[in-house]
Amino acid sequence: MSSREANDGPVGVDARVGRSGGAGGGTLSLLGSELLTLFRRRRTWALLGALALIPILIALAVRLSGGPPTGRGPAFLDQITNNGFFVGVTAILVAIPLFLPLTIGVVAGDAIAGEASHGTLRYLLIAPAGRIRLLLVKYAAAAVFCVAATLTVVVVGTLIGWALFPIGPVTLLSGATVGVGDALLRFLAIAAYVTVSLLGLSAIGLFLSTLTTVPVGAMAATAILAVVSQIVGALPQLEWLHPWLFTHYWLGFGDLMRDPIVWDTFGDNALLQAGYLVVFGALAVGRFLTKDVLS
Amino acid sequence: MRARDTGASHRLTRWIPAIVAPIAIGVGVVLVPLQANAAVDLPDLTPAELLEFAASSDVESLSGTIEQRSELGLPDLSGLTGAMGGGGGSGGGTGGGTEDFGDGDGDSGSGSDGDAAASATDLDDLISLATGTHTAKVYLDGSNARLQVLDRLAERNVYLSDEGAWIYDSAEKAATHLTVDQAALDALEAEAQAHHDEARERLEAELGAPLPTPEQLLDEALAKLDQTTDVSVGTDGRVAGREVYELVLEPRDADTLVGEITVAIDGDTGVALAASVTARGADEPAFSVAFTDVSFEAPDAAVFAFTPPEGTEVTEHAVPIPTVEELEQWKAQAEAESQAEAAPGDEAARPVVHGEGWSAVVELPAAGVGGAGFDGEAAAMLGALTERVDGGRILSTSLVTVLITDDGRVFAGAVTADRLLDAAATGR
Repeated sequence: MSSREANDGPVGVDARVGRSGGAGGGTLSLLGSELLTLFRRRRTWALLGALALIPILIALAVRLSGGPPTGRGPAFLDQITNNGFFVGVTAILVAIPLFLPLTIGVVAGDAIAGEASHGTLRYLLIAPAGRIRLLLVKYAAAAVFCVAATLTVVVVGTLIGWALFPIGPVTLLSGATVGVGDALLRFLAIAAYVTVSLLGLSAIGLFLSTLTTVPVGAMAATAILAVVSQIVGALPQLEWLHPWLFTHYWLGFGDLMRDPIVWDTFGDNALLQAGYLVVFGALAVGRFLTKDVLS
Repeated sequence: MRARDTGASHRLTRWIPAIVAPIAIGVGVVLVPLQANAAVDLPDLTPAELLEFAASSDVESLSGTIEQRSELGLPDLSGLTGAMGGGGGSGGGTGGGTEDFGDGDGDSGSGSDGDAAASATDLDDLISLATGTHTAKVYLDGSNARLQVLDRLAERNVYLSDEGAWIYDSAEKAATHLTVDQAALDALEAEAQAHHDEARERLEAELGAPLPTPEQLLDEALAKLDQTTDVSVGTDGRVAGREVYELVLEPRDADTLVGEITVAIDGDTGVALAASVTARGADEPAFSVAFTDVSFEAPDAAVFAFTPPEGTEVTEHAVPIPTVEELEQWKAQAEAESQAEAAPGDEAARPVVHGEGWSAVVELPAAGVGGAGFDGEAAAMLGALTERVDGGRILSTSLVTVLITDDGRVFAGAVTADRLLDAAATGR
């Protein structure tokens, strides 16, 4: 689906090459045009739209069926009828095992392989932008997409919950109740947590994207790795491996719903993701610098 | 492009970051804990001095994170327990089941589900406690205390204060309020103190000398302990970044499975920061509890405040406080019963302890484990857990062995299977 919709490729490349011609502040303008290209694509909006559907479907289902009995379904689901704010949190919980990694996989896996398959990669490299700079810009664009994706789920979820259900002070896991403002801040913190959680996967996707000129391959491999990592994380026999999996802390955002907030998981998660970013970033640099760009 | 007209060696140099990054991270992963464990040398203490030091600890307030780990060597039963938990699993993960807090009080919210479901979750709880890892936060300030067990996307809390105790379970949305009549408790304490003083005066008058000091008592207790256990001070270490003494207890008894028990005592404040039980012959502890970080500053008063949130099922439970007369009445009653127990026939009604010290074995008579027996899933689970031996089934973990004889008696202890079979055969 990528090749059809990327009909703006060469134009975008021209713009990028043209603007990044000057040395120095070129990186920022390169990033700007990269983001412009990303968010001009219909595919990007389709991905964000699919993510927005998750909270909408959850909210409609609960609204129409009257909600599950206590203790059934994903955590927080049974609270939605009392407080619409929980739609966003429930949607994040539902989206994080598969839907979010899938969309990240599409964007990160397409980063280099997509350009290569369109034959636009060499135009990008003709400019004195440098390969490392191009990688950095591509990664930054993928990271911005991570922010957009998680915010879409949380914000759409909160808004639809607001529209369909009564809202009010939010009961935390600890049993304490916080006001609406505090709760909204916590939801933003959850979005930040999930964004950080996806940064390691983005780096893996970028590396896979430098390996091939077939973007679908890199996209699928990235999404499959996320699923495999979660399966490994569920096998008790491989417990020694669990703390090293990039999916290990993905569901740890619940710690932001405690009182007082437990920040340990946030820090551990950030450190782990930084490790994945460094390793796979370095691999991507090594591969991309030695790669023969023929198309 | 550029890459095409460079030589192979140039190509290799471009892979350098890709090679260096994982190595740097690996070195960091190895070195940081090494540095944290750098040699610790606290002033030497004898076991008696160490115990005295720990007893004199006067820490009023602390907050920290505790990690509890069990590796009892049970077969993995997550498949079975998942089935038994019914729809109770709250959102993914192996540790995410509906785990109640300890005593059945937290269960009262489940209402009409019946005892079968309750006992299934209880069994689930036991197994989840015996396998895997739990993290909890502890807050302590004077008479206020809070234990916050962090489950995945759920939480269990115990709040203690002068006004009573709250137990809150977020997965069950149930809160239990335990209240104590403070005036009655104070009266009981005062009365007990008076009784104590009276008894002491009487004893001193009888002995014609003052009673032994706490130090003397400690020495005596240690001497007694020494007959069964080797008590020593191990190498100083580090727990939660603090320098600690290590108190090591090693059973002298050959029949027990317990290899050693270690307690880490903070070298500065005398607070116990970690404890672990290691099975005989094992390298890793089978059960351990340790602070992963701790601070001795008073926590914010807000962490102790609890009001049950809306929509929570609240169970009020007033704990009756007996008066001293009642206590003595109970004691007399219990003594009378234990004498009556000597009569044959009534013996089967209560647990019996065979042997003493480390190799003690507890026998539950057939009626004690419920004549209803095990059926369906419970029986399947029992079959998976235990192995057939001559005269019954044996459940063996690295620390505890349980023998269920064919006639329904249950023997349990931190001992070898042979010792249990022996106890079952000889009744000793």
